[in-house]
Amino acid sequence: MIAFEHVGKRYGGRFEALAHLNFRVARGEMVFLTGHSGAGKSSLLRLIMRLEKPSRGRVVVAGHDIAQLHASQVPFYRRQIGVVFQDHQLLFDRSIFHNVSLPLEIQGVEPREAARRVRAALDKVGLLHREKALPIELSGGEQQRVGIARAVVNKPSLLLADEPTGNLDPQLSADIMALFEDFNRIGTTVMIASHDLALIARLRHRILRLSDGRLVADEGAV
Amino acid sequence: MRPSATPKRPKGAALKAPRSTAKPSADRAPQRGARSQQTRFSSRLRAWGRHHRSMAWDSFYRLVRYPLGNLLTMLAIAIALVLPAALWLTLDSARLLDAELDESATLTVYLALSADDAQAQRIEEAVNAEPSVLGTQLISAEQGMAEFQQSLGLDDALAGLESNPLPISIVVRPESIEPAAMQQLASTLEALSGVDEVRVDLAWVERLRNLAELGRRVALALGALFGLGVLLVVGNTIRLSVESRRREMEVVMLIGATHAFVRRPFLYSGAWYGVGGGLLALGLLGVGNHWLSLPVAALAASYGASFSLPQLDVTGSTILLSCSTLLGWLGAWLAVTRHLSSIRPK
Repeated sequence: MIAFEHVGKRYGGRFEALAHLNFRVARGEMVFLTGHSGAGKSSLLRLIMRLEKPSRGRVVVAGHDIAQLHASQVPFYRRQIGVVFQDHQLLFDRSIFHNVSLPLEIQGVEPREAARRVRAALDKVGLLHREKALPIELSGGEQQRVGIARAVVNKPSLLLADEPTGNLDPQLSADIMALFEDFNRIGTTVMIASHDLALIARLRHRILRLSDGRLVADEGAV
Repeated sequence: MRPSATPKRPKGAALKAPRSTAKPSADRAPQRGARSQQTRFSSRLRAWGRHHRSMAWDSFYRLVRYPLGNLLTMLAIAIALVLPAALWLTLDSARLLDAELDESATLTVYLALSADDAQAQRIEEAVNAEPSVLGTQLISAEQGMAEFQQSLGLDDALAGLESNPLPISIVVRPESIEPAAMQQLASTLEALSGVDEVRVDLAWVERLRNLAELGRRVALALGALFGLGVLLVVGNTIRLSVESRRREMEVVMLIGATHAFVRRPFLYSGAWYGVGGGLLALGLLGVGNHWLSLPVAALAASYGASFSLPQLDVTGSTILLSCSTLLGWLGAWLAVTRHLSSIRPK
């Protein structure tokens, strides 16, 4: 599903965020990406989302070298990746329902069908009863679940998450991770950047460890 | 492999590549593909129309939510439109005047005072024989006197004259009203015996024409300048609204919105500003017309003429409204496009 081939990323010609990255993630796999802050976890996710291009090497997603995508094709590529952000990236002037339906609106899904799918996604994250609320009325953990519902509402084949449990207490974090495992169980490839080592060690999935932009360990690979 | 290497695959199928390479039945697959392509196209078209409708309403409600500020923007647009439009209207009425002048562009052949009616007849025939003459009209000394009195309103003063001092004259309608051609015709006619003088009153026709041309160019220049002003007003307003919705734009671009999708609500806002500004401009023109019509009518009446201020007809109003809408749309497009490149999702 994802292949990094000799990938390097420099910012401003000097700072080397990523260097000599080589790894593959199979379709349907669930992978954690870990390392100290500044190790390059977010940069790596940004490369997969095609927010940036690698300075060296190739990033191949589903058989395509995504650096080759034309700018006009990038939005269509992004629609197939669900992304959960650390800071949720919700729109605060819209209801939970509208936030979750945003990807469907962008794709032009027919409203009745969209409403059905939004409610299904909200039900999955246990927030169906809050669909009319505004994000500001929700707790941090609930906001994160809205972010997850938005990421999965159009059934992406790849789900990325950047520190999804960043500011949550252990119990909530475990709940969120369980949600990701559920999506992985139905075939979605999941990649989660997290520095909550205790939590991810318990979950027994493959762990990619980054340090100073290099891959220093690949544990639990199948 | 690049997705563009397989042209038949829709853009959205990048991640579903492996399935499309292995087709079970070669003869049935294309038909099915064509049909699903067709339904996908029509549903995409419907989705596109739906988004247009919802963005048109959404941007309209945004305008209505802050009526005062938006009204001021529209007023600025309206004022920028009223000035060139008013000048254009004035010139339009001058052009009507100009058309009348074209018909009255004539030469007047004054015969010698000694010429009698028979001689006048002969000279008129000679003038008519000239190939570049369209027609003539003989004006006897008495007719000339009557016209003179009428046009000057000097009945009493002229009635005191003992004899008619005016010669017989022939009004000549030339084929061409080009100054050079008329001048040449004049000198030809002047050479005829019995002709005292030929007068070509072209100078003031020319002057008026030059003035009209000058006015037209000034109006065009003003129109271009104020059109640019409208672009700037709308562009600046949209720039502010882009800034205030920056986060929203970043988020929707993160989850796969195209530039067209992000741009759309702002384009509608710009067009609404244009529509509002255009309507206000029409209103201002109407009010101005009403306000000026009384004194203008009074002034014209004092000259014994009737003149009414020109008004925008349906065509003119439509043109003004479409121009302002287009300018609003274009201003918004420029503002958003300039800012789109600076918006980088984080």
